[in-house]
Order: sequence, then structure tokens, then C-alpha cells
Amino acid sequence: MNEKRKIRVIVSMIGLDEHTVGGVVVSSFLRDAGMEVIYLGTYKTPEMIVQAAIQEDVDVIGISSHASNYSQIEEVIDLLRKKNMNDVLVIVGGTIPKKQIQRLKERGVAEVFPPQSSSKSIVDYIVSHVRQRERELKKAHKVQS
Amino acid sequence: MKRETDYGHPIKEVYGPEDVAGLSYERDLGDPGKYPYTRGYYPEGYRGRLWTQRMTAGLISSAETNKVLKKYREMGERGGMCVICDRTFAMPIDADHPIGRKEVGVLGWPGGSLLEFETLMDGIPMTGQSVTLLSTCASGPLQLAYIVVYCQKNGINLSEIHGAATSYPFANCFGQCDCQPLDLDLKLFLDAAEYTIRNGIKMRTCLLSQHAQESGLNNAQALGVEMAMLNELCGLLVNERGLDFDDVALLSFELVSIGMRFFEEIAKMRALRRMWAKVAKEKFKAKKERSLQLLMAVHTSGRTMTYQQPLNNIVRATIETLAGVIGGCTAMDNACMDNPQAEPSELAARMSLNTQHIISDETGVADVVDPLAGSYFVEYLTNKVEEEAYKVWNDIEAQGGMVAAVKKGYIQNMVEKAMRERQREVETGERVIIGVNKLVIPPEDDFEIPIKEVKIEDSEKEARRIEEWKKTRNMALIEKSLSQLYKDAQKGDRFNLMPSIIEAVRVYATAGEIMGVIRKARGLSYDPFNMIECPFNFE
Repeated sequence: MNEKRKIRVIVSMIGLDEHTVGGVVVSSFLRDAGMEVIYLGTYKTPEMIVQAAIQEDVDVIGISSHASNYSQIEEVIDLLRKKNMNDVLVIVGGTIPKKQIQRLKERGVAEVFPPQSSSKSIVDYIVSHVRQRERELKKAHKVQS
Repeated sequence: MKRETDYGHPIKEVYGPEDVAGLSYERDLGDPGKYPYTRGYYPEGYRGRLWTQRMTAGLISSAETNKVLKKYREMGERGGMCVICDRTFAMPIDADHPIGRKEVGVLGWPGGSLLEFETLMDGIPMTGQSVTLLSTCASGPLQLAYIVVYCQKNGINLSEIHGAATSYPFANCFGQCDCQPLDLDLKLFLDAAEYTIRNGIKMRTCLLSQHAQESGLNNAQALGVEMAMLNELCGLLVNERGLDFDDVALLSFELVSIGMRFFEEIAKMRALRRMWAKVAKEKFKAKKERSLQLLMAVHTSGRTMTYQQPLNNIVRATIETLAGVIGGCTAMDNACMDNPQAEPSELAARMSLNTQHIISDETGVADVVDPLAGSYFVEYLTNKVEEEAYKVWNDIEAQGGMVAAVKKGYIQNMVEKAMRERQREVETGERVIIGVNKLVIPPEDDFEIPIKEVKIEDSEKEARRIEEWKKTRNMALIEKSLSQLYKDAQKGDRFNLMPSIIEAVRVYATAGEIMGVIRKARGLSYDPFNMIECPFNFE
């Protein structure tokens, strides 16, 4: 993978969630930080999000969630595993209680950003983790060859 | 920290007579109960009638929501009840829809059929209190039909019911969406409104500038958008549906969002009363005095509640509740301390209702009408927010009015720009939020509040119950009523669908079925998500 390739991120709402403020604001500052943002908008099923991740060859899936159950986020993780796409970083933002944050992380969500998270914390997290994964992949590639 | 209003107008250190030099008491304020009603509609204020003290309920199932409503009455809810719809009924799709079943009962009441309304209202009086059902535009006609049929079946005089059951057609711009196109929403809104007025039903329709403000618009923008919406919808009902303005004027109630800018929030409410009175009198030529009085309920802002240090939210809700009371509201539901985390826990709901009671019963604030009138600062702010709101409203009119502005994406752009600006202000510290960008503590030191949890199993259980129940219905009756609805829905936008919706509701057709049939008749897919086929054949 080329080090200079722009980081590609999907930002999406999931299921019937129609609260778009978080998703729109985050998309805007990720673009400002030089990332390629594919904003999927509302009414996206886990299947649609994963399909878009394949088509768009993204590094990160960002899900904005304002809900009271999080099963569809877990479905995204399961689908990615099924398709051997473990290198895609899944991050979630929204009104999610601490206990649920812990559960989502145990299920494979890389990080959860609660309301009022700073843009810097989100951008820094994505950049450092995507670059780290790239380095790991390179290393693995070298060992193989 | 900037010293300016929510809408970016600089604030001075002190205000005096020169700041309100042109103010005429008779022309611009008037005594309470007198035009232009800046000081309120009632000379006796809250002494005559206290505001309705309520909490918004709705979660998991009709039976659970019914329990919560009863609990709220014990906790001191008085004057009225308020229910908000869940994700499925918002669209509306049925609980057993492939997407719906994952989110039944999420964030609200799953009101997918008359059965659900009957369960919701079990043991709760329809009269003697206001019944407010908040939902989306598309589910509004269904809720209105539930009320009509419920009253007929239970021998309740429909004219004794008051509250609200329908909603305005622009919420899709502000994140409170159904999944229907604007032209369908607009038609359904007009049908329900016309039916309500022509049948002398007192149920109102919600016009929520609260949504606009909660999506990011500032006080002046929210006020301007509100006036543009009122102007457009009243105009349509008068001109397209041939209704009398004096009837149309009583249809809407406005849910105002009250945020943290204490004096500005009060000024906004005073300005809204004055702006509506003027437009009703001068433009719409109202003949009756009541037509000049826009009913105003308050929702204290959920957006101002913070995830971090949630106990701070009790303080915020108190300040906002106080502003709403001083501003002169008819009803109030205040946000809870756990708003950014989950649905209200019992403790959080109790705190919010207690806040209202402490203000009404301990402080003396409710004893005097419009106590801040004559304050140089508040009168200045009232004039200023009105002036700024007129600019916003005029800009929307220049786009061709609210419907045209939504079609052009003008309103959506305004919202997006405003939300980005707000994020920037918080990040730079220009807008201080305690616990977020000042006096921050590590998450592990934060106080843990109780959290109301909803699990996927709860949704699945509901989905299965509905799936089974659907099979027990008299399908011949349902098909007959839906067939009529299908025919009527092909008769053009001016043909009112309420009578056939009511008949379908009466025989327990579901929200998903009714909306699906209307969609199909209009050449849309039966299922907005294209996952299920239409189970009926009317050809």
C-alpha cells in the first residue's frame, strides 16, 4: 500500500437512525484533515455499509449512532469478519452509554467517540491507527516474500 | 469566550433607555391579554392556568409505555401526557419489517396499529388532560385516525379531546424523519389538517421549530424558519383547501426549544408571540382574537445536555425550565440529565418533573405575568431577535417560501452550515461548555448515573408478537378497506384520504400496510426500503 494514499473513510448512519448532525460534522472535519470521505447518509443496512466498504476500498468505517440498541453495529463487525476484512477499522460515534461502549469494543469496534469528542481526537486516532495497520501489512508482506 | 448572542450579535456591558428608544408600550408590548401579546395571552398568567407539566414517554412497547405514563402521573405530571413515536412508526413501517424488527421500540412508542393505541391508553383518561402524540408527518394521519376511532368505539365525545396528533411536513430537514417524499408528506399533512378543521376536532398539529434549533440553527434562525413554516402551511390551508383562516389559526401549536442563553430564550418566546399576532392580523386578516394567539409549548434543549458530567445537566435543565416559564409557555416537557446517553431513567424523569414543580411551587416565579417586561436588556433582545428572524424569514420567502426552499436544499444548507459553525465554536472554546471544553475531568472520575437499557431481544420480542397478531385479523375486512384507500389515493392530491385511512385503522390495518398502499397508488414502491412485496392485489 502506498504511504501517500489518502485515508479513505465511510461515514454512515445505520438502520432507521435519522440523526445526521454528528455524521455530517465528522465528515466535514475528516475532509478538512485530508481524508477521502464517502458519506453514505441515512437508512443504510449493515450489508449496504459493508458492500460500500468493499466497493470503495476503505480503510475505516465510521458509524454514527443515536439509538438504544446497537445490534446492527455488531452485524457490521460480523459481516467484515465473514469477508476477511479484518483490516478495516470500525469506529463509532454517538450517544452511547459507557457500558455499551465496553461491549462494542469487546465485539470488535476499535473505538467509540461519545458526544462532544473533539475533532482532533478523532482525526489523530484514525491517522495513527490506519498508518500503523499499513506498516504491519507491509511487514507481513515482506516476511511472506 | 465571546460576548454575543446565540446568533452572533455583540452584547454590551449595560443597557439603558437609549437601547429601547423607539419602544411603544401600547404598540409593541401591550398588557398581558392585549395585542400584540408580547406579554402573553392571559391577564392572570399562570394563576388562571398553570402550564401543563409533562414528560415525554415512549419506549420498547405499548404496554411498557403505558406503565411509564402511569408512573409519570404518580411523579407529578399534570395537565397532559406526551408520547413520542419509535423508529418504525416514524417511517412508518411495521414491527415485523426486516429492518423494523431490529428497531421496534427504539427511542419511542411503536404505534403501528389501533391495537397499540388501545394498549397505550389502557386505564388512562382521554379527557380532562391534553393528549399529545409526537411523531412524524407521515404517521400523523394514523394517530389522528386512532383518536377518532378510539373515541367512537368507547363512546367518548370527540369534541372533548384536546392535544395534538399530527406533525408538520418539514421535519425531514431537521433529522426527525419519516422516509416519505416531501410531496406525499405535504399531502398527508393537508389532508389531516383539513379533516381536523372541517370536523371540529380540537387536536392540534405540531410545528416544531424545536427540531430546527436542535439540529444546530441559532435562536434567530429557528424563529425565522418557524414563521416561514407557519406562513406557508396556513397559506396552503386557506388557498388550496379553502379553509377559513380563523379555523386554520387554531390548528398549530409551536414547540419551542429553550437552550442555555437565558435572556435570549425568553426574548425569543416574546418575539414569537408578537410576530405571529402581526402576521395573523395584517396578512391573514384574522377576525377572531384567538387566531392571533399562537399556542406555545416548550421543550428544554436536549442538545445542551452533555455526556460528560451528567449531573451538570440537572442545573442546565433548571435554568432552561426557568426561562421557559418566564417566557410564558402553555406546556413544558424538559430534557433529562441522561438525554445524551439513553432514554430517561426513572430517576432522571423524576428529577426533571421535580424541577418543574420546584419552579412552579417554591420560587414564586409563576405568580407574576411576564416579569421581565420593561427590562432594557430583555426588550432590546426581543426587538433584536425579531429583526434577525425577519431577515431569515425574508430570505426563505425570496427562495419562493418554505416548500421551495426545502426543494432547493436551501434549508438543509442553512442547517449544515450552522452545525459546523457550532462545532467550531466549541472546539475553539469560543462557546464554553462546562465539562466539555472547560473544567474537564477524566472519564473514570465521572459520576455514574443509572442508564435505561434497551436490548435487541426487546425489539425482536415485539416483532414476533406483532407478526403473530397480524395473522389473527379479519383479512377480508382489511383488504376491503385498503382497496378503497388504494382507489382514493389515485384520485389526486386534493382528494382527502382521512376517511378511508380511518376505515382501514378501524379494522386494524397496520401503519405499514396503510402507508404502503398509499405509496403504491401514487406509483411508489409499497415498501420504502424495497425489502418486502405488497401483500395485496387490488388490480
